[in-house]
Amino acid sequence: MPVTIHIPTPMRQHADGQASVQVAGSSVQSALAALGDKYPALTQRIFENGQVRRFVNIYLNNEDIRYLDNLATPVKDGDELAIIPAVAGG
Amino acid sequence: MTNDTSLQIRSASDESLERYSRQIRFPGIGEDGQRRLLAARVTLCGCGALGTVLANALVRAGVGYLRLIDRDFIETSNLQRQVLFDEQDVAENLPKAEAAARKLAAINSSVHVDPVVTDIDRSNILELTQDADLILDGTDNFEIRYLINDVAVKLGKPWVYGGCIGSHGQTMTILPGETPCLRCVFEAAPAPGEAGTCETAGVLGPMVNIIASLQATEALKILTGRRDKINRELLFFDIWDNVQRRIKIAPLLGKVDCPCCKHRRFEWLDGAHGSQTTSLCGRNAVQVSHRTPAKLNFEEMASYLEKMGAVSYNRFLLKFNVEGYEFTVFPDGRAIIKGTADVDKARTLYAKYIGH
Repeated sequence: MPVTIHIPTPMRQHADGQASVQVAGSSVQSALAALGDKYPALTQRIFENGQVRRFVNIYLNNEDIRYLDNLATPVKDGDELAIIPAVAGG
Repeated sequence: MTNDTSLQIRSASDESLERYSRQIRFPGIGEDGQRRLLAARVTLCGCGALGTVLANALVRAGVGYLRLIDRDFIETSNLQRQVLFDEQDVAENLPKAEAAARKLAAINSSVHVDPVVTDIDRSNILELTQDADLILDGTDNFEIRYLINDVAVKLGKPWVYGGCIGSHGQTMTILPGETPCLRCVFEAAPAPGEAGTCETAGVLGPMVNIIASLQATEALKILTGRRDKINRELLFFDIWDNVQRRIKIAPLLGKVDCPCCKHRRFEWLDGAHGSQTTSLCGRNAVQVSHRTPAKLNFEEMASYLEKMGAVSYNRFLLKFNVEGYEFTVFPDGRAIIKGTADVDKARTLYAKYIGH
C-alpha cells in the first residue's frame, strides 16, 4: 500500500486533474519527490529553494508536519498526506 | 412542533427574551448565556458572502451590538450567495454595510447594528475593534486577515477566521495566547494567481453558509462564556469532493517561531506589510485608497466628470464610466475601478479623473 497525497483544487491542473495521487516513499520528502517525478510542474508549486513554500501547509494524517519532523517525518503505507494552501475568499 | 411557551418568563423585562426562547431552551446557552449575548459587542469585518451569513445569525441570536464594516457596494453577481441582499439593493447602488443594516433592523430591531462603509486598514482597525468582545472575519483577502490577527493578538481579543473558494473552505478560532494564531498556521498568503481566485474558481453558496455557520457557532460559544466548547482545530471541507478534515493545530503554539504571537511583532498593524492599492479578488477591479481620508463633494465632482463620461451618485457613492472603466467613488476618497486588475493602471486612472 502506497502513500496517498491529496492535491488541492488550484494545483490539480498540474496533476492531470486528479484529486489524489498514490506514490511510494519512506518520508514526507521522498513521497513529495515521487509526486514531483510524476508531475514536475507540481514541484515548483510546493517547493521554493528546497523548502515548502510559506503559504503551503503539508499535513500527515491531519497533523502539521511542522510539529512533527518536517520533511524528514517518516511515512508508512496507507498514510495520507494533504497539501492545503491558505483559503482567501469569502 | 409545539406552540407552548413553557419557558419561564418571570418579569416584564423578560418578555423580550421570548423571541430567543428556543435558543434559551438549549442547555448550552440558557438564560444566562442569552443575557451575555444581549450584552455582547461584536465587530464583523466584511459583509459579503461570509459576512451576510454571520450578521444574519448574530442578529437573530440577539447579540447586543454589531459593528458591520464593508468597503464595497452590491452587484448582481453577489446575489447568488450574499444572503441579505436583493435586486432592489443592486438597483439602488447601495453599499453592502448599509443595505445589510436595513435588512437586519427589520429582522431584529432590538440589536444595535452600526454599519461602517470603509476600507479596514492599519489606521482605523484599532478604533473599530478595541471595544468589541469578539472580531469576526467575513473578509475576502489575507491582507486584512493578517491585520485582524495583529490587532486581535495585540489586544488579546478572540477572533474567528473563515475562508471559502470553489467548493472548499476552512475555519479556525483564535484565542490569543491560548491557541495558535493565524500566522502560526499560515505563515504567508498565496500570491495573486497562486491559489485561484473567486473569478477563476468561483464559489458555491452552500460552502459559504457552512463555513460562516461554523464561525457563528464559535461566536455564540465565545460570547456566552463557553470557551471549553471552542473548536481548537483547523476545519477543512470540500463539499463537492465530500472531504472533511479536522487538522490538529494546537501543537503549533510555541513550536513555530511566530512573529506575531510569539515575538509580538505586529507587521501589518505597524505598516511593514500591506498596501493602499489592491487588486480585488476575482473582480477585474482595483481599489485605490487614500492614506488620509478625504471628504468628497459628489455634486461638485459630478458637474465636471459629466463632461467626460456618464455620472450618477447618491449620498453613499458616485459612479462614473469613462474609457471603458467604471469608477465607484466613496465619500472618503476611496475608489473601486472596474475594468482592470492592473494596480498601476488604476492609480493612473484615479489620478487622471479623481485627483492626486
